[in-house]
This record gives sequence, C-alpha cells and structure tokens, in this order.
Amino acid sequence: MSLEYTVTYCTENSYENDVSEAFWQFCIIPENNTTQDLISWDFDNSLKALNEVSINGFGFQVVRIHPKQLFKKITFKASFKLVKKEINPYDFILNHEVSEDYATINNIVFIADHEPFLRKTRFTKLAEKYKSLFLFDSTKLIFDNLLELNSWVFEHLYFKVGVTDVHTSLDEVIEKRHGVCQDFAHLYCAIARENNIPVRYVSGYLHQGNGYFGDSQMHAWVEAFVPNVGWVGFDPTNNILVEHNHLKVAHGKDYHDCPPIKGVVYSKGRNTTKYVVEVQASQQ
Amino acid sequence: MKPNTEHQIFSSYNKKDGFFDEVFNSNGDAKSIYKKLFDLYGYHSVAEYVQLNNKAKASFFNQGITFQVYGEKEAKEKIFPFDLFPRIIDADEWNTIEAGSIQRSRALNLFLWDVYHDKKIIKDKIVPLELLSSSSNYLHQMIGVDPPKGIYNHVSGIDIIKHADGNYYVLEDNIRCPSGVSYVICNRTALKRALFGVFNHYQAHTVTNYAENLMEILESVKPQGVDIPTCVVITPGMYNSAYYEHSYLAKAMGVELVEGRDLFVENDFVYMKTINGPKKVDVIYRRIDDLFIDPLEFNPDSTLGLPGLFSAYRKGNVCLANAPGTGVADDKAIYTYMPEIIKYYLDEEPILSNVKTYHCSRQDELKYVLENVDKLVVKPVDEAGGYGISIGNKLTKNEIEEVKKRILKDPRKYVAQPILSLSVHPTYIEDNNSFEQRHIDLRTFTLLGKDKEFVLKGGLTRVALQEGNLIVNSSQGGGSKDTWVLKK
Repeated sequence: MSLEYTVTYCTENSYENDVSEAFWQFCIIPENNTTQDLISWDFDNSLKALNEVSINGFGFQVVRIHPKQLFKKITFKASFKLVKKEINPYDFILNHEVSEDYATINNIVFIADHEPFLRKTRFTKLAEKYKSLFLFDSTKLIFDNLLELNSWVFEHLYFKVGVTDVHTSLDEVIEKRHGVCQDFAHLYCAIARENNIPVRYVSGYLHQGNGYFGDSQMHAWVEAFVPNVGWVGFDPTNNILVEHNHLKVAHGKDYHDCPPIKGVVYSKGRNTTKYVVEVQASQQ
Repeated sequence: MKPNTEHQIFSSYNKKDGFFDEVFNSNGDAKSIYKKLFDLYGYHSVAEYVQLNNKAKASFFNQGITFQVYGEKEAKEKIFPFDLFPRIIDADEWNTIEAGSIQRSRALNLFLWDVYHDKKIIKDKIVPLELLSSSSNYLHQMIGVDPPKGIYNHVSGIDIIKHADGNYYVLEDNIRCPSGVSYVICNRTALKRALFGVFNHYQAHTVTNYAENLMEILESVKPQGVDIPTCVVITPGMYNSAYYEHSYLAKAMGVELVEGRDLFVENDFVYMKTINGPKKVDVIYRRIDDLFIDPLEFNPDSTLGLPGLFSAYRKGNVCLANAPGTGVADDKAIYTYMPEIIKYYLDEEPILSNVKTYHCSRQDELKYVLENVDKLVVKPVDEAGGYGISIGNKLTKNEIEEVKKRILKDPRKYVAQPILSLSVHPTYIEDNNSFEQRHIDLRTFTLLGKDKEFVLKGGLTRVALQEGNLIVNSSQGGGSKDTWVLKK
C-alpha cells in the first residue's frame, strides 16, 4: 500500500523599501529515498525570476531565486507530488546482546564515521547543569533508550508557537519548557549525542488532519543511529516513530544546516514574511 | 669580537654571542658566501646607504605596495619595511628546504583528502579525532567532496627558522590563504634597482617566475571537460591588508581581479560579468576565507562572497584554490603531528624538523606548560598573524598568571613551544643609523597541482625590527629582506 501526497509551500516576503538585490535558497524539496518517490515539482514566483534547482552544502536539492529587478514584494510557490510507501516503523529485529550496542558506539571507526552527527553544535549543546537530564540505561538496548528519550522529550516540553524562535538557545528552551518541533528535535539531538549516539536533525512535511503537532508548517524530527539497524526516525514532538506521515526533505547537524529558507537581501527597513504549507494525502 | 672594520657601514655592528649569526663567523669574519657581498657593500658609506634605502622605500610607496594593520584605531597604509642587505642561502641548504617544503605540502594534501573521506589516520589512532571534532575549520560540507584533481592546498606558505644549532625547523604551515609572495618579487625589484651592480655578482635564482608557475598550477586543476580554463583572482576588496598582492598576482598572471559582485552563479556555473556579456569562470584563486565565500552556505552576513558558489564547487563546475576546509590542517595542534602525518602517508622521514610542541589539551603536557610558562612560547592554535602569542621570558609575574588563566579556560586552544633562538642577520636600523643584529625567519611558497610541484626559489625573509623581538609578522612590526638562493 502507498499514499500519494500533494504538498504546496507558499511564501510571501514584503519589504518597506525597494530591494536592490536578493538571493533566496529554499530547502523544501522532498528527497527521494527507499520509502518515498518524488514524481513531479512545480515552482513559480511573482517576479518571473528563474527558479534554479541546485544543491545545498550537504548535497540536498534546493531551489534558488535571484531576481534581476527592483521590487518590494515577492511571492514564491512550490508544489510537489510524491508517493510514500506505507511502512511499519518497527520493521526490524533486535535480537543481539546489549553489550554489542555499546561496543559498536565506542569503536573509533564508528565514531570517526559519524563525527558530524555526534558533534555538539551551538543548538545541540547541553549546558553542564543539564548534562544528566536524561541518562541512558546501559543495561538496556540503545533502541529502547532512544524510545524512552522520545517520550521524555515529548513530556518535558509543551508545544507552543511563539515562545521560541530559530535563535533561541537550548538552555532557554529547557528552562521555559515550551517550544516548537525544532526545539523538540534539538533537545533530542543534544541528549542523544551527549550519550554518544549519532543523531541527524531532519526537516520535512507532516501529514495534515491527523491532529499531529507541527503539521501546519514545515516539521522537524530526528534520525538516530541504532546499532545493527541503521538510521531510525523519531518524532519527539508527537512521541511517535517516523512512518508514512512524515515526508523527509533534508537532514543536518541542526536546523541551521537545512532551514527551509535562506536569504541574502539587500534592502533597508522592515520586512515581513508569511508562509503556508499544505499537505494532502490520498490512498492509492 | 669585532666584524671587519674596514667596511664602513658595518663598523658599528654589534655582534652578540649566543645567537646564530647568518653572516658572521664567531671570529667576526664574514662567511664565505657573504664575502663578495661585503666587499661590494663596503664601497658605500652609511650616508650613501641611507640614500639608497630611502629610494627603495619611496619606490614601494609609489607602487602602492602597502598594507593595513587590523585593530588599530586609525587605519593607515604602511609600507612593509624593507632592508637592502639581502639574505643568501646556498644551493645545498636550499635543496633541503625545497625538498622538505614539497614533502610537507604533499603530506598535508593527503591528510586533507583523508580527513574529508575515509579518516584512516584517525581510525588507525595516529591523530586523535578530537582535533577534527573540536576544529571550527573542519568543514562538514567538504566531507565526501572530491576537489578537482585531488588537490586541496594548491598554495602553501611554510614558515621556517634557523635555530642556534644551525638546523632549519618548521614553525608553522599556512595553507588557507598564505600571503607575502608579492613582497618577495617587489623586494627583488627594489634591490636590483638600488644595487644592480651588487646583484649581478651573484648567480641567484629568479623569483619572477612565481606568477607563471601559479598560473600553470591553476590551469592544471581545471574542472572536467574544460579545454582552456578561464581563471580569476577573487579579493575581498581594496580594504583587505593584502589587496596589493591580489592585484599584483592577477596582473602578473594576466587574469581578471574580481570581487564577489563581479561574478554570478547560474545553474551551478560561475560567470563573470563583462562588457561582452557573461563569461564562464573555471578556476578561482580565492583570497577570501572559507566562511565568507558563499553567504548562502556559510556566514550569511558576508557581502564579500558569491551566493551559490559552493554548490557550483560541490558539483565540480568550478575549482577553488585553495579548497574550502584546508584550515583544519594548518591548525597549530595538527602541526605537532606533522612528523607522524609525513610517515603515515609518504612512508618517509621528515626532511625538515618540527619544533617540540606541547599540547595543552593533554593533561601531563598541560601541567608542564603551566609550570614553565616563563620558558615557553604559548600560542593559540587557530590565530594567524602573530596575534595572541606570549613569549615567556618577556612576561612579568602578573602576565604569567594571566597567561595561565587563559590556558586553563580553554586548554584545547593553546600549544606551547620552547623559546627558540631564531638566527640573526645584520639589518639596517633607521633610528640608530647603523646595522644591528635582528632575528629572521623564512616563509617558503610551495605550489601543488596535477603532476606538478613547485617551490619558489627565494621566499620571504621576515625580520623582527625591534631588538630582541622574535615575532616577525608584518602585522607585528616586522620587515623583510630580499632572499637569494644561489645556483650551484
């Protein structure tokens, strides 16, 4: 069984004064992987600037726009069609010894290969006082610890828009105990990395209408490396494992490796940004 | 001990024991390679020398060969002080320096390939992973990227000193955007103008072939499928301290000098705006630091770079020299592993020695450093230009305590070395109107390309102009000398 998704991403940027030059890069294209096939895309902007498909620094597809005239307002719209397989997130077997797990993650070859996703970045670094917030139980499999961490993050933070933004530090998020999906994902990354598990921050879309948190805009979750299995997706905002409701776009060490929009804009004065995401699914 | 007093301009030269004097033997006689020079300079009086020196200075200023020092209140253009008395290196010594420089550059290139691919040297536990994972210069965007023809450090500036034992030691490897080569060439021009009669008595190698060799190197790393590549030099602009050098190299290579705004990226190819329309650019000799080359990928506030440049590079459509991410290998903590790095990749013994270095990140060495700050040079691992260095025997008690505090705050950030006695060279000191001993080092310029290696036969001899000072960087009040490498 599979689902066909239609995703639209729409943004409108307005500026108080004329913009003399601008570059935008949108990291919003669903990737092709073993569970999802991108069938088509369509890009349109109000300034008729070229929509260039390129890659970001980590090889994920992006769209770039560089208008060649003065303007005060631009709207950009992208739409995608893709097919997502229905998946069982528990579709793997864990019948190995607990000690094997920890031998794997302490091996220098493993650590060297996963160095980027073990790194504590500015947004995934726990302050000294928070290092023991959640400690892994070394008598249990790593997967079980990761699952418990998923619930722990879900319970520790309350989903609320407007309390934090993309510059809020992790310390502040932990103190305020409120945040959006990025904050849930960053906290998960920070704790798992503190426990020597490689974790990737994932940016993507979420099926709408199922009552999930974070479905009205682009969503964020994580992929943790489970020894003997590989990368497994966890969605701490909703306390679930990642399955066919999650459409992956890109991953990185944290939000700043794969933000949906990056821009270099030469203009003075204030500006406003609005954006809307729609995700619709139909059974195939 | 007095040097030969019959030569007027050296009559007040005050030779101190304990330093390695490159020109005078311990009995006060000039060494054999300097003899002829002495006889020739001897015809000049101090007054004549001053006149020649002033002419040379004026010529530097008139050509705009100036630099700015960062962090000073009033940014003022300065000329790089130049000394007319040259340094001479004989052919045998030079062969060692040259072979050693090539060896280091090749090893660094292989190390960079490895740390951005399989990380074998880490997995074999030769170099600790910590040095990568704590380095802000280790660019994750470069992992798995193959730079054109496998070259990362097309241009390496290796700083070498001659110690009191008469041997050469490498002080540091600069493989981000090493500068200084234009001074080598300008020093030669100025010296030949002022003292053409002297220069012609020696068989010294030319230095003006640097630009053509750099050009060959850049052309050799052209992207796949390009026949005759278009190369450019990209500069942060006229306010950069090395702007003269950027413009000199572009002119000497016969290529365009551009800023980010002169270029644009379309469909992952780089183009230059020209009056005849867009022209595709294939190789960029970039003199902009990694984090400023592309605001869409790195520092978003950079107005120097070119949005989209990194994706063009990642797709192999343009070559950047040096490659992004080379900074991880010119970290001063990596430097301490250079002997192991050379053995690991080349299976050779290092031709040039390293200076013994203590890592403050290692507990036992940290302890030694803290106990011996007064006998050591303490350096931050990631600063260039001689900033943040403290020299133990020049510090007051309070300063020593401050240095200790700074180290303890972030031990990974510091390494320490014994205070080396850099060799000294007679240098004309304007204020005292006489020749005096001053410490010197040597920056060599090594180029790596596809099947091509080149070391400029000369290099930049830098002079610490303050008496007893050991820091030779131009930003710290250093000067320079023409450097003659003799043919056999």
